[in-house]
Amino acid sequence: MNNNNPRRISSSPGALCSALMALFALMLALPFAAQATDGGTVPAAKVVNPGAELWREVRQREAPAAGTSQVQGMDSGVLINTYGEQWRQFRMQQLIPAAGVLIGAVLGLILLYHLIKRGVPLEAGRAGNYLLRFKEIDRILHWYVASVFIFLAVTGLILLTGRVVLIPVFGHEVFSVIASASKEGHNLFGPLFLLGVIGLFIRFVSKNFPGKGDIGWLLKAGGFLGGKHPSAGFFNAGEKIWFWLVIFVGLTISATGLILEFPFFGQDRPMMELSLVLHGVGAVLLVAGLFGHIYVGSAGMEGSLESMTTGYVDVNWARQHHDQWAETCEEAGAVIAGEELAKKQRLRGTKNRVPDRPVAEGGQ
Amino acid sequence: MSGRFEQGVGAMRAQMDARVVSYLSSCVHCGICAEACLFFTETGDPRYTPIHKTEPMRKLWSQEYTFWGKIANKLGLSKPLTEQDFADWEMLVYDGCSMCGRCSMVCPLGVDIAYIIRKVKEGLSAAGYSPLDLVQAGERARTIGSPMGVTAKTLEATIRVQEKETGLDIPLDQEGAEYLCLFSSGEIAGFPEFIGSLARIFKATDISWTISSQYFEATNTGVQLGNSELAAELVERIVAAAEKLKVKTVISPECGHAYTTIRWDAPNFIGRPLPFKVVHIMELLEQLRLEGRLKTEGTIDDRLSFHDPCNISRRGGVLEQPRHLLNMVAPKFVEMKEHGDMNWCCGGGGGVSSNERANELRLQVFSAKKRQLDEIKVETLVTSCSNCRHMLEDGLEENEMEVELIGITELIADHLVKETPDRGR
Amino acid sequence: MTEFIEGPLWYFALAVFLIGVAWRMFAIFRSGSKPDFSVPRRSAAVSAVMTSLRRFVPRREMSPRIRLHVVAGYMFHLGLFTLLLFAAPHVEFLQEHLLGFGWTPIPYWAFIVTSQIAFAGLLLLWLHRLLNPVTRLISDADDHVAAVLTFVVMLTGCLALMEAFTGLRVLHRFTVELLMIYFPFSRLMHAFTFIPSRAYTGAWFGRRGVDA
Repeated sequence: MNNNNPRRISSSPGALCSALMALFALMLALPFAAQATDGGTVPAAKVVNPGAELWREVRQREAPAAGTSQVQGMDSGVLINTYGEQWRQFRMQQLIPAAGVLIGAVLGLILLYHLIKRGVPLEAGRAGNYLLRFKEIDRILHWYVASVFIFLAVTGLILLTGRVVLIPVFGHEVFSVIASASKEGHNLFGPLFLLGVIGLFIRFVSKNFPGKGDIGWLLKAGGFLGGKHPSAGFFNAGEKIWFWLVIFVGLTISATGLILEFPFFGQDRPMMELSLVLHGVGAVLLVAGLFGHIYVGSAGMEGSLESMTTGYVDVNWARQHHDQWAETCEEAGAVIAGEELAKKQRLRGTKNRVPDRPVAEGGQ
Repeated sequence: MSGRFEQGVGAMRAQMDARVVSYLSSCVHCGICAEACLFFTETGDPRYTPIHKTEPMRKLWSQEYTFWGKIANKLGLSKPLTEQDFADWEMLVYDGCSMCGRCSMVCPLGVDIAYIIRKVKEGLSAAGYSPLDLVQAGERARTIGSPMGVTAKTLEATIRVQEKETGLDIPLDQEGAEYLCLFSSGEIAGFPEFIGSLARIFKATDISWTISSQYFEATNTGVQLGNSELAAELVERIVAAAEKLKVKTVISPECGHAYTTIRWDAPNFIGRPLPFKVVHIMELLEQLRLEGRLKTEGTIDDRLSFHDPCNISRRGGVLEQPRHLLNMVAPKFVEMKEHGDMNWCCGGGGGVSSNERANELRLQVFSAKKRQLDEIKVETLVTSCSNCRHMLEDGLEENEMEVELIGITELIADHLVKETPDRGR
Repeated sequence: MTEFIEGPLWYFALAVFLIGVAWRMFAIFRSGSKPDFSVPRRSAAVSAVMTSLRRFVPRREMSPRIRLHVVAGYMFHLGLFTLLLFAAPHVEFLQEHLLGFGWTPIPYWAFIVTSQIAFAGLLLLWLHRLLNPVTRLISDADDHVAAVLTFVVMLTGCLALMEAFTGLRVLHRFTVELLMIYFPFSRLMHAFTFIPSRAYTGAWFGRRGVDA
């Protein structure tokens, strides 16, 4: 594959190669064109391609047929990349539909669950006293990763499924603008996601090692099976699984993204195709998981969202869902009374004014 | 809207100068000022964010000077400045701010927030929204000549006691003396040894000085209240006393706001340069040290540090002098981590300690100073402001801390070289 | 639509921006200053300049409290200025439409990296504004509009990279013009007013002999 010859495009072999390349490219484009256009046109009369026999033979080989070329660059010695079609088939016939099914199923299940079970309430109600769960830096980091990921997910899904989902709606011209914009945006924000994942790892890894109660929590499916809420530490087993998923899949997505975005380091087409596959599969997995994460963190569990907005949680929430952590905090005297917390969380508005000084005539 | 509210708004409006407009135009609400203010850091209450304390001024500027503000006001889309704002901000401004100016040192946009707060006080006090204790202190200052009610008689009695203790003459009303020394009532009442210390030092350094019985008060309740009229009136009395005794220089004693007032603000209150020079006692002592006239012997062996009073150091510019003076007598002098122009305020300046309503708050925010002292573990703390001393004493007692407090003048006086035996010593 | 955005609206936005900024600066000095009769220790003018420069570096006594402010703040500001003044499409635009001369732009990869730094900085700062109790109390609509509008301008710029489609480029131009119109009426004026603000404070402290 590596062509170490000095750059020397001699006339006839070079020209022949270029012509063959052009012909090849044209041939590859044909199925795309066929895919993109609607069915229903009158099929043209069949014309036999004189080179068809040759190409079929070359393509049926196990590996990409590699030779040498005067042209510098990766893959320039590869006449036909047999993986290319496999990748394309996988993407169009399996990945895109699977993505739709998976995401649709997850959304549907969540909706169904919420309609039936309506989310987990605080059994003991609110205590009005609070524990600090997430410091400001953790919350800022979390929402940073969240917003960057959502942007990447939207632009990524446009790039993945847009051809199938959006072209019928917007037409080709508008979609090309959308796709171009999405590609630029996706590529620019990608590395920002990587930085966020690294940050999340640094801040949260120490709380995500397997610990006491994790197996039990998993066996009880977090309380789904067998009524009583299982014991848990700062993070329960489900959260830990999500953390490691985000880290590993996130790093995979980031690494493959970097491979794809910076193809200057010896990546050949099979590597790029593999990267695309991993990138796409990983991304779809995370998007599906994200819906679950968002649900549990908001409507699915009363009192959860404030842990990531204000950083504080009600003591009863902590006792119910993370009893081991709640116990440690209470023993250490870390409980903050509601009135104390209110002083630190002043918001605009009449409720939070200084003790009301009556506007007397003349003031004093 | 009562008439007094209109007065207050008018007083605040008159304070709107180029500096204030540039500041209000520049603040981007970043919140860095809060991280420098001990009233925020020690309570966690975001209402003590320095720029938030200036909200009445900002509202006035917004509704009368800015495009959106004027439109929003006309259309009823924004809340205008009301008397309720004055009422709500009184405690934030008077109890929760000592005008220490630490916020002004850190704002990336260069906003001098303490400067704006001083101007907000003009509005609040004109509208009648100042702490009762301060208003009464102001009345006493106006009528008696001292916010604490210390009369000339009390001063004279104190002087006599100090003369006995030191065996020295303390010149009262001496015309033609070079230096006139002012005092804060807090010193006269709480730390009269300051007067004796001055006598000893000036005798040893051959300084001609005097005290005026006509007017001796260094502090200016007008400044603490935010009442420029009262402030100017009190300054004029100092000028009159100094002119009567034909002194060349007025000494500002160990008191923070007294120094910034007489040294920096006084000429602007009365609209003309002062007919005399002004020095802080530490500046004079340092000058005498450099001239070789101030000689000390012996040392204090305590591990000690210096608490820079905000208005003498950060807002006043007297930063190096106490270090040079302490190096003469204190081999175990250590600096607090935040010292000099970034020292943490004691919490009692700007009228806060004169306002009984603020007692709980100022003792709560003493935790900043406690943290500083716990870090360096000193036996003694030296300072150059009697108000800081009162506040530090209260805080140390409340926290059961074993730290001795001493004024720097007294410390130097205690280590003067004894050339000839003094009468009665 | 494109002609309107690249024609009349551009001129309108430019006029509002230039006249608005000038007016706001004039409004500062119009309010006047009283003379200071106290005897200074140092030159006020020199201190004004020194403080204007010194405030770029935070006081070490403030760390680690304001670490995020400083790091994210500089990421955003330095990133923004670099890409605004040195990204090739911008240099070209300035040369063609405003100045008549240009300068060497930064390479494309540097353009991308500085935009990423700027985006990250702005996002972190805005999230901090929403999540910190102090900034939550003191922030108003102006703060949020300014942040979101700036982000949108940067985002439309990013989406129009490689200038593959006129529509995206025009969208970016349009949001820029919106920002220019919004600028003089908002807190974004700090980009200019920080100079007199720091200078006044520097002069005041300098007279007292304090390095503020």
